[in-house]
Parts: sequence; structure tokens; C-alpha cells
Amino acid sequence: MFERALNVFWVVLGATSAVYAWSLGMIGPAGPESGLFPFIASVIVASAGVVLLLRPATLAHAPDFPRGGGLWRVLGVILGLIVMAAGMPYLGFSVTSFITMIILLRTVDRSSWLSAVTLAFLSTVSVFWLFGSMLGMALPRGPWGW
Amino acid sequence: MKWAGIAYALVVALLSAPAGAQSDPKADLAKLKPKDFPTQPIEFTVVYPAGGGMDVSARLLAKHVENLTGDRILVNNRTGGAGMVGHSYLATQAKPDGYTVGVVASLLWGDAMLRAQGRWSFTDLEPIAYVNSDALIWVGSTEGPYKGMSIKDVVNAAKDKPNTIRVAIVPGSMWEYILDQIEANSGAKFLRVPFQGGGAGITALIGGNVDIAQGFYSEFRGHLEGGKVAPLAVAAAGRMDFLKGMPTFNEAFGSNEYLWQLVRYAVVPKDTPADRKAYLAAAVQTAMKDPELIAEYRKQGVFFDPKLENSKNLAADLNAYAEVERQFYIKTGRLK
Amino acid sequence: MMEALNGLLTGFGVILTPANLYLCFLGSLIGTLVGVLPGVGPLAALALLLPVTFTLSPIGGMVMLASIFYGAMYGGSTTSILLNIPGEAASVVTCIDGHQMARQGRAGPALGIAAIGSFIAGTLGVVIMTFFAPAIAAAAIRFGPPENFALMVLGLVCTLFMISGSTIKGVLMMALGFLTAAVGLDVVNGRERYTFGSVDLSGGIELLALVIGLFGVAEILSNVETMAKTTLLADRIRGLWPSLADWRASWRAILRGSGLGFVLGLVPGGGPVTAAFMSYALEKRIAAQPDRFGKGAIEGVAGPESANNSAVAGSLIPVLSLGIPGNPVTALLLGALIIQGIQPGPLFIAQQPDLFWGIVASMYVGNVFLLLLNLPLVGLWVQFLRIPYRVMFPVVLLLCVVGTYSANKNVFDLWVMLGFGVAGYVLRKLEYDLAPFVIAFVLAPLLEQSLRQSLVMSSDGAMILIKRPVTGLLLAASVVLTFLMFRRRTKTEGGLP
Repeated sequence: MFERALNVFWVVLGATSAVYAWSLGMIGPAGPESGLFPFIASVIVASAGVVLLLRPATLAHAPDFPRGGGLWRVLGVILGLIVMAAGMPYLGFSVTSFITMIILLRTVDRSSWLSAVTLAFLSTVSVFWLFGSMLGMALPRGPWGW
Repeated sequence: MKWAGIAYALVVALLSAPAGAQSDPKADLAKLKPKDFPTQPIEFTVVYPAGGGMDVSARLLAKHVENLTGDRILVNNRTGGAGMVGHSYLATQAKPDGYTVGVVASLLWGDAMLRAQGRWSFTDLEPIAYVNSDALIWVGSTEGPYKGMSIKDVVNAAKDKPNTIRVAIVPGSMWEYILDQIEANSGAKFLRVPFQGGGAGITALIGGNVDIAQGFYSEFRGHLEGGKVAPLAVAAAGRMDFLKGMPTFNEAFGSNEYLWQLVRYAVVPKDTPADRKAYLAAAVQTAMKDPELIAEYRKQGVFFDPKLENSKNLAADLNAYAEVERQFYIKTGRLK
Repeated sequence: MMEALNGLLTGFGVILTPANLYLCFLGSLIGTLVGVLPGVGPLAALALLLPVTFTLSPIGGMVMLASIFYGAMYGGSTTSILLNIPGEAASVVTCIDGHQMARQGRAGPALGIAAIGSFIAGTLGVVIMTFFAPAIAAAAIRFGPPENFALMVLGLVCTLFMISGSTIKGVLMMALGFLTAAVGLDVVNGRERYTFGSVDLSGGIELLALVIGLFGVAEILSNVETMAKTTLLADRIRGLWPSLADWRASWRAILRGSGLGFVLGLVPGGGPVTAAFMSYALEKRIAAQPDRFGKGAIEGVAGPESANNSAVAGSLIPVLSLGIPGNPVTALLLGALIIQGIQPGPLFIAQQPDLFWGIVASMYVGNVFLLLLNLPLVGLWVQFLRIPYRVMFPVVLLLCVVGTYSANKNVFDLWVMLGFGVAGYVLRKLEYDLAPFVIAFVLAPLLEQSLRQSLVMSSDGAMILIKRPVTGLLLAASVVLTFLMFRRRTKTEGGLP
């Protein structure tokens, strides 16, 4: 089922992309225009999607999408990354990474509060120091200056 | 109360300046330093990749400002979209807290007028100091069918044989615009081969893949010394000190419209607090007076536009240049 | 010949001072570290450390920067092999077989071969540089858009070889790579494509964010899903040194990788990334049993890791002999020289013999330092596998985030990383091979740009591609290879899948 959905996605993606590429122009006086290469690539994507749809399912084994605990862990990592990307511009690197680490360690790993806080604190500080002082890279700071 | 303090400091600085050798720029600068600033490194934002001409200018400047003020300066390259990503960042996202200084080039104006689509304008960035100018230079090869020709010969050749002389351009910028002007005025037609930057064009020139390349002095100086390229003309108001034998386009064609220079200057986002802005402006301007820095810049083949060097109102003078560019865009139909 | 040896002696005289040796060692150390950290690559490290060189002498500064560059190529394989997370873009292919070897308990030999292959390739590259730099540079300069185009086509054809599993899916991935590369500015005419008004997208998709997402985040997601409280591979570490059989299998791959990498480093737009990918494709194509690839074939580690090292030497030749940078890292090195007031150009070797030969000599020394650094570290890295994954992965994830961020200091890249991470995770489950996507992404812009440039500059249209000898040759080779590939696939897999 997932496979079918993905193949349909390829067809749709390829088709819409081809239309967009067409609007960019195919051939101009000086040779290919902006749209030609993307158009060809989109057509390939859509055609491949069609071929895959038409064939019987050929996966070696059914895709095992996660359930239960596995699913929560995967979602936990994704959540952590979302927090990181969304929070960094406002809260600065240190605080955001501390929070993210806590989220990761608590949801995915289920460590105790103490070990989570400790590890989060240690890793945040060492990364900040490693990149900030040693490599001289400015990691974003929050409104409180660090 | 802050204003009084700044005014006092400026007066002191101005009064001591004519004393010449007795004034200490570092001390004067220290007097202008606002309280609690800076507590973290200041970012000099460069919107082009590391190692390029803009980057080199910015890093030299940062080095000297750091020495003068003792503050930590970090040069940061925010690249992408031929400068668009960095310009947008400076104009719309950078916090106006004095910790971001953009070291930008006048290509900013083109981006703002043609590509920003109203989201920001170059007036969102306030100029605080002029750095240097780099004029566009046409170079030809020392081998091949066009060697030894002057710029007028080349244009005539392009008139006689339209669409055969290959010129390296960077699309969407002054490299194209000067060609538009020349072609419009002389009836010549060049074959425009697009590249990602002036340097790539120079490489192609040496490899025999184009006949004319356009770039800045620092991009071809090594090849010039190696005898591989021959400079043809410069798109500036006067001849360059480092290449006195090279005419300007205006000289060669009896015109005054072939003026294509990269003006580099430092900006801060608007609404930066006045005291921090004044401090940063003073820091950069003082650094720009350092003879060592000037010498280093001269080695890069930049020149210092006298109008901007001694400008009383930098923003107004820069805007005047920007206006000229805007008129060009309107005249050539790029802007309504 | 004698000149070169004289020059080399001068160079050693310059480099063998305590200060310069220290800088070379420091650069090697930092380079290794930078290579190991996922995402942070030599470009970011060099940009960050450039100001440090202001206070150093020109030779000191250049030696340090150069050793960071090739040091990163040594370190990059470490996380690729151990964690299936690339240390930097040039180490992506090492993940494929390197990590499989680690899963079979052969992390030690994999790391060892990577280090030794890197050393051999790096040294060979410098040797060629020593004797042939000016001549090679003069030839390389003639490589124009048509030649670039033909080379990219050859690269794409080789990529077709790399496709394991379903050909259709592989081709689809390559086409997607093309599409993703089209996001941003069209170089040829400055127009925006697929940006939909987003300023961040107008800069295109950052390669590092894509690679770390597809291979780093996706890997972590997979591991986290099935995680029990066990360590990753601790029970299966068997031996730390490559066996004789490993050597026999690898030495030819190392030599081929060295040669290929050097050539690919030389051409503009090439460099270690392209070199590693093409070497992997080459090894797979040449192997007697290509099915071993993807399951722990040591050639899949030896070849690419050697290629990315000799590519460093190759890419330094145009910069040092002609003053022409072929990729962002060498452009940065050029900038560093310019800031010091030195203008590399055709006269560089003649005018600054101390500097040029000093840099060359430092590369011999640097490679030795790196071998001595990395081999003992193999034992240390392997111990890292004993750290429970549940503790390690958050830290690794954090490093991935910082590494990705270091490319452009743009938070948008983090979203890109996340997006590709999830996509990679899903695609892996549905048995899509991601490597062709990345290669197509890397090669596509140059291919398109070169073709369009060639057509513009030629007076007789597409004929230019045949009239120029090198171009014609490379294109002919591509056609032949494609034909051979289809023949082989139909033979071994009983018809096109």
C-alpha cells in the first residue's frame, strides 16, 4: 500500500513539475532554456512512477513501518529536530539544544531525569565550547546573550 | 544624555585630529564605545563565497578593525542565490543590535531593485563607511586571433563579424549591462557566454574558450604578470594607477556612460541604536585611514573614489549612484 | 626533473622547522577532527580558521590550511564506517560498504584500509604534483565547457552502474536528483527556478544539509526505531588490522582510486566529492562480482577513500600553478594567499619557490602525520562502538545539526536536513537506493551549465561536442559504457527489472 502511494506520488510530482518546467521555457535562441532539463527529469520521474505502478509489487519483504514503541521513538527524534530548527533563532543554540537533548533522551531513550539533564548539559556545553571557542564559529545566541 | 556624551567625544576627537601624530585613534575609538557593547563577537557578513574579492576586502577590514578596537570580529559568509540570500538576510532578518555589520557591494542595488520584489529595499541598510571601489575591466588573451588589438579594434571586429567574438559574462549583472551599452552604441554584436563569476571567465579566456573576459584586477593580476592576458579597457571615470596604459571605455568611445564599478561599503541594518552605529562607523572609518590597510587594498587593484572617500553624507552619495543605476534599468526596460 | 628535486629539497628545508612542522601537525589534527564530525567539512573549517593565518607567515598559514583540507579526507571515513553517517560529503560512498564491513565486525580493517589508502593516494598525488605540476596545469586549463560536459556525462553513466537493485528506481532517483539540483538560480541566465518566491530556496539546496539528512538523520531514525538497550556492534569486533586477503583485494582499488581521484581533482568543478563517487562506480563496474558491493566489499572503501585524497593534490595544482581555483575550498586557499599579499598565477612557482615547494613538501609530511595519527586512532574509534547507542545518538544528532548549520549559518538548512532525513528514512524502507540521487544532485548543475555554455559558445551548435577531441572521446566512452552496462544487466539479471 505504501508502495502504491509512493508511486502515485512520483507520478503526481513528475507531472506537476513538468508543467512548471514547461512554463519556464524549453528551447530558446541560444539553446536549452531554463525549463528543458527539469522538464526531461520530471517526465522521467513521472514515467518511472507509472512503470512502477503497473508492475506487481516486487519488494523483497514488506516494508516494516514502525508501530508502538518504535513509532514513538522515531517521532521523538523528529520532534527533537523540529524543536531545534524552530527554536534556535529565538532561544539561541544553548537553550534549544539543551531542551532538544532532554526531549530525545527522555522520549526515545527513557533515561532518568538526572542522567538526561546531566548528559544534555554536558553535551550542550562541550559542543558550544568546541565550536564556539576552538573553531571560532558563532552559534546563535538567545535574547539573554548566550 | 547619551547624545551629549557622543557629541562631546566627537568634538574632542575632531579637535585632536588636526594635531596629527599626537592623536591616538585607538583611544578616540575607545571613548566612543557604548556601555555593554560589544559583549559577544561582531559579525561582518559577506554575501559571497570565501576567498573571493569581496571576502578578501572584508577580511582585511575585519583584521584592522579588530586590531584597532580589540573587539572580536567574525567574518561570516552567507552565500547563495548570487548574493540574494545574504542581502535578504541583512535587510530583513538581521537583528539591528549592532552585532551585524554587512560588508556589501553595490550589486546590492541591483538585487534590491530587480529581484527583491518589494520585500526590501537597499534603504533598509544604512551605510556607515565607504571601503573601496573596484572597476570592471575587459581583458583579452595574448594568444589567438584578437591578440594585440585595442578595445576599439575589438568592437570594430565585433561589428564586422557579429556573433563571433565570445565574451564571458555573469548573467543578470553589470557584466551584461556594459555589453548592452556597447552593442547599443556601436552596433556590434558579441556572443555572450555565461559563467558563474568573473574568475571563471578569466579561466576560460586563458584556456582559449572565450575571446574576451571581464573581471576585476585581483582576478587576473597573476595571469597578467604571467603574460597570459592583456587588459583592454576599464569602466571607470579615470585611468587606474596600476595600469596607466589602459584607457577607460569613456576615453575610447568619447562617452561618459561606461561607468561600472563595484562600490564596497559597510552597512548596518536600519534601526540599529545610534550610539552603536556611531561606534561601528568610527571604527571602520578609522581602519580605512590606516596606511597599511590602504596599501593592502591597493595591491588588490581597488581604487578609492574621491567623492565617496570624503563624503559628508555617505548615504546620499551612494543613493545618487544607485539612482544612476535605476535610470539605466528603466531606460533598458528592466524596471518599469 | 632535476629542477623538481631541487625545488623539493628547498621545500623540505623550509618545512622542517619546528614552527612549520607544528602547524602542519596542528592542521592535520584539526582536519581529522573536522572530518570526523558529521557535516562540518573542510570548507567550513577553513573559512572559520582563516583569520588565524593572518598572524602566521604565508608558508605557515598555507601549510596549516592545506593540511586541514586533506586531513579532513582522512577523518571523513570514520563516522561513515562506524555509524553509517558521512563525516562530510566526500565520504558518503564510504558508508555503503564501509558500514557493512563494520556490521560484519570488520570495522578495524575498514578504518585501516581507509587510512592507508588515503596515505598512499595522498602521497602519490603529491609525487605527481612535484614533477608534473606546470605541465598538467597547462593541459588542464584547456578544459572548457565541452570537456566538462562530456566528463559529467561519463560520470552519470558510471552512476547508472552504481545502481543496486531496481534499475527503474535508480533512474527515478537520478532524475529526482536533477530536479532537486534545479532548485535555485539558473546559472546560465540568472533566472530563479523552483523557488516559489522563497529567498532561502533561491540559494538552492545545500549539499551538506541534503547529505546529512539523507544519510545521517535517516540512519539515526532507522536505528532508533529498532533500538533495544544494546550497543551497536560491540560483540562483533574481530581484529583491528586488514588481513592479507584484504590487501590483495584492495591494492589495485587504491591505485585506481589514486589515479582517478587525481584527474577529477584537476578539472574545474570536480574535487574530492566527485572523485569518491566516481571511484566507487568504477570499482563496482570493474569488479568480477559486483553483487558483493553494498555488502561489505573492501574495494568500495579502498577506492573512494583513496580517490578523495589524491583529488586534494589534483585540485591544488591549478591553484598553485596557475592561480585558478576549481572548487570552493581551493578558492578559499587562493583568497588566503591574496590576503597575505601574494598573488598566485603562472609565475607563482618561479617567484615564490619557497612558498610553493614548502607547500608541496608539507604535503608529504602531512600525509605521514595523518597516517601516524589515524592508524592508532582506529583502536580508539572502535572502542566508541561500545558506547550504548542510546547515549551516543543524541550527541551525534546534535553534532549533525551543528555540522549542517556550519555550512551557511542558516537555520533553513536544518529544515532541509530534517525533510531529507524523513524522506530518506521512508525511501530506504521502500528499497530505494539513495546514492544515485546524491550523485545526480552533485553532477547535474555542472552538466547542464556546461552543455548550455558549450552550445552558446559554439558557432555550429552541437557539433562542437564532436569536433573537440577530448570531448568526443569522453562522449564516445560514455556511449560504449552505457551499451556494455545494458548488456551486463540483461545477462546477469535476466532482463531489465
